[in-house]
Amino acid sequence: MIFSLLASFLSAFSMFGMSSLGYRTGFGALFVLSVNLVPLGALWYYMHRKTFVLGRARSWMSMGMPFGERYGNGMRAVIPVVVLLASIPYLVAQVQGIGLMVEALSEKAIPYHMGMFFVPVFISLYLIMGGMKGAAWVNTVQGIFFSIMVFILFFAVMAKNGGFAPTMQMVFDTHPELFQLGAKGGKLWSYPMVFGFAAAMCLGCICFPQPYMHAYSSRTVKGFKTMLLSFGGICLVIITMPTLVGIAATVIVPGLKGVQADKVYGIVASMALPDWLAALAVAGGFTAAMSTVNGLVFGNATNLANDLLKLMVPHVGQKGLVSAARWSVAVIMAICVVIAWNPNTPVAELSVLAFGTVAVTIFPLWGAYFWKRSTAAGAMASTIVGFGINIVMFIWGGKNMVLFPSAKLFQLNGFLAAFIAAGLVFFIVCLVTKPGKIEQKSLALFFHPALDGKLDHNLVDRSENEYVKV
Amino acid sequence: MDNGSTWKRVFFGVVFSVLTILCWCPIGYGAYGAVSRIWGMPNWAVTALSIGVVMFVLEAIYLFATDLTLDDEQLPSVIKSIREDIQ
Repeated sequence: MIFSLLASFLSAFSMFGMSSLGYRTGFGALFVLSVNLVPLGALWYYMHRKTFVLGRARSWMSMGMPFGERYGNGMRAVIPVVVLLASIPYLVAQVQGIGLMVEALSEKAIPYHMGMFFVPVFISLYLIMGGMKGAAWVNTVQGIFFSIMVFILFFAVMAKNGGFAPTMQMVFDTHPELFQLGAKGGKLWSYPMVFGFAAAMCLGCICFPQPYMHAYSSRTVKGFKTMLLSFGGICLVIITMPTLVGIAATVIVPGLKGVQADKVYGIVASMALPDWLAALAVAGGFTAAMSTVNGLVFGNATNLANDLLKLMVPHVGQKGLVSAARWSVAVIMAICVVIAWNPNTPVAELSVLAFGTVAVTIFPLWGAYFWKRSTAAGAMASTIVGFGINIVMFIWGGKNMVLFPSAKLFQLNGFLAAFIAAGLVFFIVCLVTKPGKIEQKSLALFFHPALDGKLDHNLVDRSENEYVKV
Repeated sequence: MDNGSTWKRVFFGVVFSVLTILCWCPIGYGAYGAVSRIWGMPNWAVTALSIGVVMFVLEAIYLFATDLTLDDEQLPSVIKSIREDIQ
């Protein structure tokens, strides 16, 4: 399960994207997908303990189910749509990363537009044929494989220039700005930028479909807790390595810019390792991307089938749901291929856009589990406002508006501004609206005393309609 | 909930909040401009990674060595209780 979760999250972003980000921006990249994810052990447990327990008690299968039970069908329908739209940049990043890597490794014998089709087609086939169980096993094998290959590549790249410290000395001599905070006149890795990236990535991790799916499918509490803890710890080690490989590559493969820098992982592998081992190292990155597409597409397809379709067609059977999920996989992949056709945003930036956008759904989730006063209107308004602001900023100011701190936004980046706005809207709307029948009824489930370890039924407080029998 | 558990919860809550901020931003241990280095890396990066290791260890203690989190012995009775009350 640990490697399955790791593989379903770690991706072309963590391998190709992070080496590219390290290459282009330096050590500040450690706050994007490495040290900033360690708090997930505690945060994830805090946020998803009830997902784990109630998911079992209520046989939940999709992300919309907790929102539906707590806030009603409106939120159950909105969540899968928002999460799917937020997932698109992340999926595009996988398709794009693989297309670029295939082109780089084949020395353009396989062009980008052909390479980008390889994995979506492959993934669609084995996902459609294997389902979640197949995907989980594939993810586990892939997780172990790419973790091993990252170690091998890291030590090979550092050995090429006489070890880690001598390599970093060479980088420092030629690119001292890669070691700085607030480089480029305070624009690169300023404190607000670091905080914005770190918080968006960590909170986004909690809100994507994978944590829900793994909470539903964990067999034991021990396994669940081990998975949460290990994820942050393994990220601290595994993702730091491609980041450092990217930084070291500035003296091995100088001069790559923008999207072309996404090829650095493969290029440096081919220069530091024998051909067959370089191919395996890049294959490790491919497996990471494939397993992510796997987990994310399957999660979204499940959400669409179980939440949206079931709402629209209440009497749909199991066969219809499976068929709808399979078609969703194909349509999602097709959309991603179309968007990835003309790559102009690096993999890392695409991924951060996705995580930052989905993070706005954390307020309704928190309210569902921890605030009895939260209302459907607050949850809905918060989700739509947070998501909407991200979209408006992207259209208005492009990716830079969303990713980088701006004077217009009091030195916040776009998604941090959207996140704060979503939070304010959530609390204000919840306080000015009254919980409806659904919210009141749901308190019996979401605040059941047993969830806090109170198993004595006499302790149930029924004085304020809080624990009404459903 | 007894007093001991409450204090433990407060302790871990405060510690995790502080460490999370430090894992999300090098405030207090980083500085703009020129840097000194440890093992070839900027000192703030080494400090950040060290804080990450400390937080990981504390999370392991919180999740597995305290009575503050759910365990497999409790789970069946928790689920049974919820299912009995919520039809």
